[in-house]
Amino acid sequence: MEKLKKKIGSFSFWNWVIASIIFRLILIYFPKNLNLSSRPEVSTPLTSFRRLAEGYWLKQSSMSSYAGSMYHGSPLLLSLLGPLTVKRIEGQPNHLLYSLVSVIADVVSAMLIRATGQNLRLAYLRSLESLDLVKQIDVSEFLFSGDIAALIYLCNPFTIVACVGLSTSPIENMAVILCLYGACSRLIPLAAFGWVIATHLSLYPAILIIPVIFLLGCGPDSPPRKLFLQRHQQKEVLNQLKLPPGFSWGPIIHFAFWAFLWSVYVLVLCGISLKQFGGLWEMFKSTYGFILTVEDLSPNIGVLWYFFAEVFEFFRNFFLIVFHVNILFMILPLSIRLRHRPCYLAFVYVAICSMLKSYPSVGDSALYLGLLGWFVNELADMQFSLFLFCGYVGVSLLSPVMHNLWIWRGTGNANFYFTTAMVYACLQIVLVVEGVSAVLNHDRKLRILITGKP
Amino acid sequence: MAETKEKSLSDEKPKPRVRPIVRLGIFLISHSFLVSVVCCTAGVLALFLLPVLAKNTYISENALMPGSASPMLSNQHVSDGNRLVKDLTNPNSKSSETGIESHKIIAQYMLDLGAEVSFHKFHPQMNQFHPLHFFSSPVSGKIQENYSCSSYGINTVGIIRAPRGDGKEAIVLVTPYNALKSGFGEALSLGIAYSVFSLLTQVTWLAKDIIWLVADSQYGEYAAVAAWLREYQTPKFSSLSTPNAEMCPDVNNLFELKGHSISGSKFSNSFRRAGTMAAALVLKVRDQNEQFEDTISIYAEASNGQMPNLDLINVVNYLAVHRQGLRVNVEKLWPLLNSSWLKSLGEIFESLAKVAKSLYPKWKFGIPATEYVEGTATLASSLYYQALGVPTGPHGAFRDYQVDAITLEISPKFSLDKVWRNDILLRGGRLIEGVIRSVNNLLEKFHQSFFLYLLTSPSKFVSVGVYMIAFALLIAPLPMVAASLYVDANSSSNCSKGDSSTPSAITDTDEHGIAIRSWRWLNSAKLVFIVHLWGAIVSLLPYFISQIPDCSPTTSFMIWVLLSILSLLTLNSVLASPLACAKATQEKEWALVKSVTISSVFIGLGLMSVINFATAEIGALLMVPMCLLARPLKLDVRAGTLRSFCRLICNLVLGHIAFPPAAFFLLKGMLDGFGNANVGDFWMWVESLWAWNSATYLFIDLTWRAHAVVAHQSCMMFWNLDVLVLSL
Repeated sequence: MEKLKKKIGSFSFWNWVIASIIFRLILIYFPKNLNLSSRPEVSTPLTSFRRLAEGYWLKQSSMSSYAGSMYHGSPLLLSLLGPLTVKRIEGQPNHLLYSLVSVIADVVSAMLIRATGQNLRLAYLRSLESLDLVKQIDVSEFLFSGDIAALIYLCNPFTIVACVGLSTSPIENMAVILCLYGACSRLIPLAAFGWVIATHLSLYPAILIIPVIFLLGCGPDSPPRKLFLQRHQQKEVLNQLKLPPGFSWGPIIHFAFWAFLWSVYVLVLCGISLKQFGGLWEMFKSTYGFILTVEDLSPNIGVLWYFFAEVFEFFRNFFLIVFHVNILFMILPLSIRLRHRPCYLAFVYVAICSMLKSYPSVGDSALYLGLLGWFVNELADMQFSLFLFCGYVGVSLLSPVMHNLWIWRGTGNANFYFTTAMVYACLQIVLVVEGVSAVLNHDRKLRILITGKP
Repeated sequence: MAETKEKSLSDEKPKPRVRPIVRLGIFLISHSFLVSVVCCTAGVLALFLLPVLAKNTYISENALMPGSASPMLSNQHVSDGNRLVKDLTNPNSKSSETGIESHKIIAQYMLDLGAEVSFHKFHPQMNQFHPLHFFSSPVSGKIQENYSCSSYGINTVGIIRAPRGDGKEAIVLVTPYNALKSGFGEALSLGIAYSVFSLLTQVTWLAKDIIWLVADSQYGEYAAVAAWLREYQTPKFSSLSTPNAEMCPDVNNLFELKGHSISGSKFSNSFRRAGTMAAALVLKVRDQNEQFEDTISIYAEASNGQMPNLDLINVVNYLAVHRQGLRVNVEKLWPLLNSSWLKSLGEIFESLAKVAKSLYPKWKFGIPATEYVEGTATLASSLYYQALGVPTGPHGAFRDYQVDAITLEISPKFSLDKVWRNDILLRGGRLIEGVIRSVNNLLEKFHQSFFLYLLTSPSKFVSVGVYMIAFALLIAPLPMVAASLYVDANSSSNCSKGDSSTPSAITDTDEHGIAIRSWRWLNSAKLVFIVHLWGAIVSLLPYFISQIPDCSPTTSFMIWVLLSILSLLTLNSVLASPLACAKATQEKEWALVKSVTISSVFIGLGLMSVINFATAEIGALLMVPMCLLARPLKLDVRAGTLRSFCRLICNLVLGHIAFPPAAFFLLKGMLDGFGNANVGDFWMWVESLWAWNSATYLFIDLTWRAHAVVAHQSCMMFWNLDVLVLSL
């Protein structure tokens, strides 16, 4: 344990950050050999850089960037990143500038994750202190979850692949992390901005509004409120100062105001850029509509493409509703059970979204695996950790091989590839289930420590 | 909520109720030693049972209809073929130094038949090792530079346009031909191809274009076919190509000559194409003839153990045996044919089958012992060539573009006097005609029958569903042993903690212990990862070493070894000296390291079985016992019992055998005698493997890494000795 902690001392932390950046830069100089940007695992119809370039080209030739069902992202992204698709530096790799942007996005995300993790750790220590558990639990044994999470995010092969593979997911991830960071450190305009942008870019982060409300309303993760009350009943001294604050509506109204402001701002900007091409309705139809109706059935690591390729046209709408309501169904129970741990709730939501998304990519997994690092102390006794690790390694190696068998060698078929997608989905389910039960067990353990009885 | 309730309930009960599947898992894990022994034995046994379980082949695609039409190849066509053979073997045709004359003759013959003819000039391209190109697409639009005009080959290509087709599909017939030193066999194969070709210009049923490629084999048969295919599949749209063969005066000379001598309009300078290829046949005639019968050998293995569709082999086999009366042969591992233990094994199986049949007459699965031995020899060679990943002939080039192709090698019976020659021309020609006619009937590309199979005889095969069972049995112990080791390691650490601490502090230690307990494997994973990283570096080194000019294989090998050791030391020092810190904790941690190693080996073998089954099977035979037996030597030495001593010996022997260079030398020594073995040979062998982009190379690398981990584990003793000496 000491070794681990020493290793992730601050000096070593920066070493690792620099090493990961250098590794990315090295990989950027081999784009031809790796050909990552054409992998279905990396670039989906929503995050593909090629489609972005196509959209920009259409826009430059004064056509609607959504013409021809090629581009399905945001028009703002097009105006910001589009110029990078055509700008070349002589003698350098083609998309060097864009790659550098995604490297920067990754580093910024990692720094935000680190800051949030430090916040969470401090909050956790504070709550332990107010529970008088500091003596029983050696606080110095606690890992620096912020550093670990940031390093997991930076050194995760999924993140690296998404970054080098020229997909837009580093930027989407950065928006999500920005939202959580803002909510954790109570920078309400920033949180609102992150949430609006993340929702605008990929729709699914919209459900993060629930954890953000909890975060703003009652502060970051802590043991259940019940425990504090029990503790103070035991001591028969009701120290109001040591109790965590109750739910407050002020910041939430503040947040709603800012969110409204930012969304109006974003919509106006989009409206201006799409004035001649059907306006906002066109944008909603070909971004959110494209996400929700699963029009593109090209293979990816999700399970929906296979399902909707097989399903009868007659039932299509029904199953579309079923699959999307699936996410919504999970929101409420989880938010009730985990309401005292909003950041963990956010992690669970992100993981569930990346599982049931219509066009998932490894960039989504990179995000929730990074967030997982925040909870190293809580998840210390998670079961099946080795199994999950081996599963992720195996699936991420097997998936390209199956794709090769199906597409290039012709000896396999779509089922081969779909099998790995299913295994991947199962792994994510196991991860979420085990993670949630580990956190609940952790809470139980705290309760035992306080009350002294199981 | 419900979950916690359940948990708390189960805590209160004295005996928690466990789900049956969990109970089964726990049972398997707790008896992992017995289970793994049983599984491994069953896996090896199942491998030897495969020839018994082989099924007869059958033609799966109905559209093929082989042999339903009577052959149309007549003596007229045969005499045409004979004429070409005579012209080619005529000493006058060999006057030219580059062998252009004979190509001209062939082209002239093709033109006379009314086919479109073109020459394809190519430069023999050395197979280059691209470390990252193992699994990428076969598109090889590499920039071709620094050509010299001195070395180039000429393929002659003739195309018949099908009268009934739309020109979108084609069948390819390939005859390798070396104009400079052609034997009589090559001329004869050209004769057969020509007689078929002359027939096909006249028939009305042709629906697919026929391409006849006379591949210039002076730089190797594979290189010529591969060059032609590359050109065929990757059209160049820009006329501004790099200086290539067009610039060479010699080649232009050839075309000018042709232009003068041939007035026909069907000759063209540009590259000619037909449609997508449905199938390809490579035809060869062997020069020596020692068999008692006319035989025809089928070679099917392409790169990385890929096989053509079984239907293609079926059609050839059916037509050769039932129509032309040729004996069909597939490659066998000859030394196995005479081995007595295999014969006795076959007899045991035979008698077992007899007993079974007497018990219940409907059980009929036995095969005669001789057949079993032959089947095993064929299976072994099938496994060997698939595992090697190097194509067995020019047909391998086609498989890279998903075209089904096989090589047919005809070995005629008697010395080739006139009558016999005519006979072989007729029968060979009719066989080719029949196959082409069957393929011509195809509506889609081959897809009905198997792609993943092993042959035990030309008419018997083992399909993927059967041979996977043997493999699965073999590697099934790996996850089980990994799980049991993992569980043991965790519970033992728990116990020691519980014992050492007073009851009041149990919860307390629990609280700290958790963090270590559940994620403790991370340290071992780091160690395994670093060893794998080292393996990756070692496997990439040859690429850089091969850039060094003028290096003999032995020196290259030495450089390789030196650099590998150097890289290990560097890694060791840079990455927080994992080995040193592991050394301190090894005492307790070896079980976890072994567990992680075994898991990684399991993942690797599983992956490999999808890519190339044969490699995975052979690798599993070597690695599974090694992984299961591995144990720190020190512990065994300390235990001092007979059992641990046996295990120690096994460890040492297996550890050394499975080391790839050691394995190579052992095999080499067994085959050629130990005197000839040389370190350079290993380098050559590895070079040939990566030149063919063989996945086996990757796999050897994997073996290497696993071996390194295991060796690291077992070598703890020696290191500790070193430490002792230092401290003294």
